[in-house]
Amino acid sequence: MRGYSVYLLSRLGQFALVVFIGINISFIVTHATPIDPVEQSIAAATQYGSTSPEAIAMMRQSLRELYGLEGSPWEQYLSFWRRVAVGDFGPSLSAFPTPVSVLIWRAIPWTVGLLLVSTVITWILGNLLGGFAGYYRRSSLLRFAGILAMAFHPIPYYIVAFLLLIVFGYLWPVLPISGGYMMNMERAFNLTFIFSLLKHSALPISSLVLVGLGGWFMGMRSLVSNVVNEDYVTYAELGGVKRRRILASYVMRNSLVPQVTGLAMSLGAIFNGAIITEQVFGYPGVGTLLISSVHAGDYSLVLGITTVSILAVSTTVLLIDLLYPLLDPRVRTV
Amino acid sequence: MRVLTSIAVVALSWLASASAFAQGSISALPRNETLIVENPEGTIKNAGWFNIWAINAGGQSTGLHQLGMDTFWYIDPNRGVEGVWDNSLATEKPIYNADFTEMTVKLRKGIFWSDGVEFSAADVVYTIETHMKTNGLRWSAAVQVNVASIAATDSSTVVFKLKKPNSRFHALFTVRWNAMWMMPRHVFEKAGDPLKFDFNPPVTLGAYTLNSFDPNGKWFIWQKRNDWQRTTVARFGQPGPKYVAYIDPGPPDKRVIAQLNHELDIIHDTSPEGMFTLAKQSKTSHGWFKGFPYAHPDPTLPAVILNSQLDMFKSRDVRWALALLIDIKAVSMASYRGAATISAIAVPPTGTHPEYYHQPIEAWLKDFELDTGKRKFKPYDPTVGQQIATMLRPSMGDQIPTDAKDISKAFGMGWWKPDAQAAQELLERAGFTKRNNQWYMPDGKPFAIRITVEGELRPVMTRAGSMIAQQWRQAGIDATTIVAQGSLVDRRSAGDYDVIISWSVETWGGHPDLSFFLDSWHSQFVAAPGKPQPPRNWQRWSNPELDKIIEQIRQVGFDDPKGLDLGRDFIKLMVREMPIIPLMSYNVFTVMDDTYWTGYPSAETAPYTDPVPNWGNTKYMMVKLKQRQ
Repeated sequence: MRGYSVYLLSRLGQFALVVFIGINISFIVTHATPIDPVEQSIAAATQYGSTSPEAIAMMRQSLRELYGLEGSPWEQYLSFWRRVAVGDFGPSLSAFPTPVSVLIWRAIPWTVGLLLVSTVITWILGNLLGGFAGYYRRSSLLRFAGILAMAFHPIPYYIVAFLLLIVFGYLWPVLPISGGYMMNMERAFNLTFIFSLLKHSALPISSLVLVGLGGWFMGMRSLVSNVVNEDYVTYAELGGVKRRRILASYVMRNSLVPQVTGLAMSLGAIFNGAIITEQVFGYPGVGTLLISSVHAGDYSLVLGITTVSILAVSTTVLLIDLLYPLLDPRVRTV
Repeated sequence: MRVLTSIAVVALSWLASASAFAQGSISALPRNETLIVENPEGTIKNAGWFNIWAINAGGQSTGLHQLGMDTFWYIDPNRGVEGVWDNSLATEKPIYNADFTEMTVKLRKGIFWSDGVEFSAADVVYTIETHMKTNGLRWSAAVQVNVASIAATDSSTVVFKLKKPNSRFHALFTVRWNAMWMMPRHVFEKAGDPLKFDFNPPVTLGAYTLNSFDPNGKWFIWQKRNDWQRTTVARFGQPGPKYVAYIDPGPPDKRVIAQLNHELDIIHDTSPEGMFTLAKQSKTSHGWFKGFPYAHPDPTLPAVILNSQLDMFKSRDVRWALALLIDIKAVSMASYRGAATISAIAVPPTGTHPEYYHQPIEAWLKDFELDTGKRKFKPYDPTVGQQIATMLRPSMGDQIPTDAKDISKAFGMGWWKPDAQAAQELLERAGFTKRNNQWYMPDGKPFAIRITVEGELRPVMTRAGSMIAQQWRQAGIDATTIVAQGSLVDRRSAGDYDVIISWSVETWGGHPDLSFFLDSWHSQFVAAPGKPQPPRNWQRWSNPELDKIIEQIRQVGFDDPKGLDLGRDFIKLMVREMPIIPLMSYNVFTVMDDTYWTGYPSAETAPYTDPVPNWGNTKYMMVKLKQRQ
């Protein structure tokens, strides 16, 4: 137990260090950007209208005060950590005065919903098909599935996404190509809304599944290919255990451990958003929010999103680290 | 395996059932009563904010300023419904005193807010006084710099006392894309801090009111007011669409797909290639021009902006040499695939400007001589527009007009003849030398120019910059492009560039007065190197003759014919000095679909307003649109 406590403390220390360093890097990078949110705001406010140069100078000063951008970088750094400590990222500079946290929490359910579903579907399908393909090596159907999965895997994501858009949005327009749900529909927990939600997520999810499937498929197939040659599998076969049971209880189960780790890592990363997916399919989410905040030089919002992302990924890794020794005692001694 | 088969069967049946609902499934609204328009602002982060007076507090062109807002006057970038100038909330033009220190506005009676309260002078006074005492509102600084006081002499008359003479003060309340909108006093005075009030739902003066919006900022739907007769556009008839949806349809490819599926009636802007696809594949889609070049030329003038504070551009000879090393035909092909409207002079070739400026000044341009020190020659070629049309005719056939007037309107008139020899003579006179096909500056350093372009955010201008860099390189100048992406605004303001492809000339379009951009070009506003330059003199150019023209414009009234003469003097000065190299108007590929609506503005038959739907002026389009029978 003492060994595990030491292990726990060291992992917690690493977690805190990673989070601290990650957030600091984000702070430095966002503040080093040449994009000034005040200049962006002035440009947005004046680019089409007639505003005198004297008024612009006055506006610049007012906005600096309003956005709290006065003070040295060191003062801004301390103020940032004071706010982070209480979970407040301040107001968004490109959506002033809406708090950053409001914008993030408004976007997160969409991103999490989209990526959680697609990650789980991809993982289950990829591992099932990969497991079957590794075990039933003579099945021509599974071989064909393997060729398909491998064919899609190296294609750049955006090509697959546009292919889907053209096929299902134009040539055979059966699915919506933009948005999260039908325009002017009331957001309520009823069948009509859920159907609309599913329909709008069909293309983004399909694109993520198609591209992600190959990795899980190939990983699981090679794991299973190794396991089927183990003595205990041969012994079970010779002992007359049913093939289905061998596959489920002897082969797949033993091959799944590294895949579960991979799943946990993927689930942690879903808070990063799927930037290209959200952009291509016009899906509301953290990725869309991040891109627009980068363009606007809204470093409050960029910092908020990256901090949430750093915390999510680090926490997932920490949880895996803490659970591993309980599953595999060898890890404790490393 | 049975599980997999079941999944496949369910997915296919779901797709099959989905196809039954596919068409018309974009909205729950009756499609034939709904106009669907692209909002180029994209997804609005804080969609629930409609306080347009607070900077960044929400979207502007979500329909909010086109359909919900109103102010004293509108100037149309084209011809207008009943003339370029429209008295909207005002009943007549601004009334100035002799020295332009006082402006009186007579207000229209019988105009009501959407909640039934009548609009009056009290709203105007409240709007101005709120901006006077609150820093950080969109128009606070403009009001505080100009207004000493405001008073309502009766319920429909307001008098502004100004801090100093300003013959163009009314521009603040004159819509060219936007202007300072009026606030409902009865709503805001109860709201507390105007910077922290979301104004949701908005109380509108326009003919529409908010129906619904997506909290994630993808769409905003406006509904025609039952009392639309009590709004200012009612003078021109009843708005056609019952509902107007402003949406974020995504990148250009998706906009094209959406319009091909008749799910997007107006595309704000797409790529030239997207426009050509729609023209070929959709019988119901069309642009501002019936045929090529389709696009609407905005009253904005993309140009090669030379940073005048750099030593290498201080000589007029160098600036002219760079202009003579550009082949505008190749730039037009590279940027707009030929669908550009070129301009040799420093006003955009759009709206009424060809009549006020391009045509009257053509004779002077033809006679204009440039002295290289070795010879004098006439650099202007009046046939460049025709040459572009001829070049495009083999591939575009009937789409290219044949009438000379139509060609000028579509492709522009003339431009400068590429002349490498003259450019060499000018550079040599400026002390530059050429060795091994490479130009060197008088201080012996290579003549290297960084051309800053915006990148994928503005691909057309980026392609223009790349072509110009290529042409200058061929002439022996070490020209490269730098992609600024989102930092263009900061770099342009800070003067952190050698050359930038952007615009420092923007005009009213319909009205010849140039003060809209020109006043800010006075040398009093030129920032020191490294300091932020206020819009719009991005080239940071100062010239005593220019100052004199600007000061004279300040002394004459907005409609005074002397202003037009001074505008022409400005153009001649720009030609002689060439501080920026004008290229073309900013052509916007707005594409309109006739499937559900007709009556859109067009260059040939209905130039009553700008079709580009993010302009506040497009409120006039609503009264011209009719349901397709």
